[in-house]
Amino acid sequence: MKIGFIGLGIMGRPMALNLLKGGHAVTVWARRAESMHPLVDAGATAAASPADAARGNELLISMVADAPDVAEVMRAALPGAAPGLVAVDMSTIAPAAARSIHAELAAAGVDFVDAPVSGGEVGAIAGTLSIMAGGSESAFARAKPAFECMGKNVVHVGDSGAGQVTKAANQIVTGMGVLAVAEAFAFAAKNGVDRSKVREALLGGFAYSKILENHGQRMLDRNFKPGFKSWMHEKDLNIVMQTAHELGLCLPGSAATAQMFNAMVGSGHGEEDSIAVLKLLEKLSGQA
Amino acid sequence: MMTTPAASPSEASPPEGAACALGQTGGARMKVGFIGLGVMGRPMAQHLQRAGHELFVWARRPASAAGLPATICATPAELGRCCEVIFTVITSSADVEAVALGPDGLSEGMAPGSVLVDCSTIAPDAARRIAGALGKKGIHMLDAPVSGGAQGAIDATLAIMAGGDAAVLERVRPLLDCLGRRIVHIGPNGAGQVAKACNQMIMVAAIEAVAEALRLANAAGVDAAKVKQALAGGSAASRVLEVMGQRMVNRDFAAGIEARLHHKDFGLVLEAARQAGVPVPLTAAVGQQLNALMAQGMGRDDTSSLLRVLELE
Repeated sequence: MKIGFIGLGIMGRPMALNLLKGGHAVTVWARRAESMHPLVDAGATAAASPADAARGNELLISMVADAPDVAEVMRAALPGAAPGLVAVDMSTIAPAAARSIHAELAAAGVDFVDAPVSGGEVGAIAGTLSIMAGGSESAFARAKPAFECMGKNVVHVGDSGAGQVTKAANQIVTGMGVLAVAEAFAFAAKNGVDRSKVREALLGGFAYSKILENHGQRMLDRNFKPGFKSWMHEKDLNIVMQTAHELGLCLPGSAATAQMFNAMVGSGHGEEDSIAVLKLLEKLSGQA
Repeated sequence: MMTTPAASPSEASPPEGAACALGQTGGARMKVGFIGLGVMGRPMAQHLQRAGHELFVWARRPASAAGLPATICATPAELGRCCEVIFTVITSSADVEAVALGPDGLSEGMAPGSVLVDCSTIAPDAARRIAGALGKKGIHMLDAPVSGGAQGAIDATLAIMAGGDAAVLERVRPLLDCLGRRIVHIGPNGAGQVAKACNQMIMVAAIEAVAEALRLANAAGVDAAKVKQALAGGSAASRVLEVMGQRMVNRDFAAGIEARLHHKDFGLVLEAARQAGVPVPLTAAVGQQLNALMAQGMGRDDTSSLLRVLELE
């Protein structure tokens, strides 16, 4: 397939590389030209503009920071879009923003799929991302071969915006999950109990989770390198809380968790992995 | 394009004891504009007019200006051309921005040196942005949100928290004296809105605290009215306990200030806390109770309805 790819950061670069490995013809564009070099070395074509990245392609994928960036690159790409182009955004943005971009592109004859991912940098490199997609059946079918090069668990959840709703739900579970494990560890430590033994015991029971297993181990190792940065989890939980505010939806646990991540960013832990919430808990309870 | 409805005698005469009446203060009669004639804005506009100032208004729905002894303008721009000082009391950041800076907006008519006093509750960064845009045209702005509710507006006892240039505040202080008792210059533009955000945090959290306490009293089989009466004499005494507690005891949930406005304000507060990286765990929890209140269709009722959110049976 002929694919344009915009946004070559920590996630975008390995995802585009996996498209090349899958045998697709990939045109890349990034705001900073030097981020295109490794892709060009691997066989991609460098585009001069977002429109250039769209031109002649069947699929245009974006992986950028936030909703305004997605809207901006998609608008800029439109002059290069051929009839039948499917645009796919794999960034994490608000469901309402995804729906509004969908409507704007539809008016220009371009179908749009919101397809955010879960699995982090490790999953992006290994091509094992979870991909949760929202959009029309036909657009999803067109994008599916590309998704299968980047991810393992590819689910078409529903109409436009459904992918982002799913991602927000994912961030509720992972945000509270990380905080739950950190609180359990703080609890064990304050009681003078070895938290690594607690983790080991819990892994065999109903409290088992990937977060207890993987994030829990990194907490024990006090390895706070990202991974998934705290400020990004804060950003994603803000999407959750704003959506809840707009809908009139009561999410007390998410609200409390979002405030912990807010405190992380405000106290200078934003660039650390979200498991650094453990350090914040320890500080609050005088365990630091 | 302008019409001047006949002033009814009762509305034209200043109320007795008005602290700001021109005859008593020796102040100058000013051409004052007013936008936003809702439960707060209408009595505020009347106070200014009764104090002897010449009142001009623009209303999105002309009906809301009915009966006011004022000159009605066709657009905010036209209002801007007529007035030295203009007050706005409207709902959202976007509304203030549109009225001030949009097509036919105030900035198209206001003369350099004139003053916009925005008494709406909006985001601090929106207030700074609007002040900056107006400043480029030499137009002054104060963010001057108020606290005290509809009764405070009627009684002219509002607390007014002002952000902006201190000299500009002094120029319009004679007008603000017609509206409230406590007028505090907080700091530069946006500072007034920060103060209002702080006000809302404390007030709505206190409403939730009163609701939870009275709910507990009731569930424990104790007379909530007696509990409220006893508490009013001790350390837990507060205006919120007095006013909102009484509404809860009476189960009178008809709005004073509609709960949806507090819900809106909490969106602003939480966003400001996020931008500052300041954890506000209690505010966030109260915000979720307000979300539940909205979901249960009580947004147009009084915020004392937080009591009903706790009544799960």
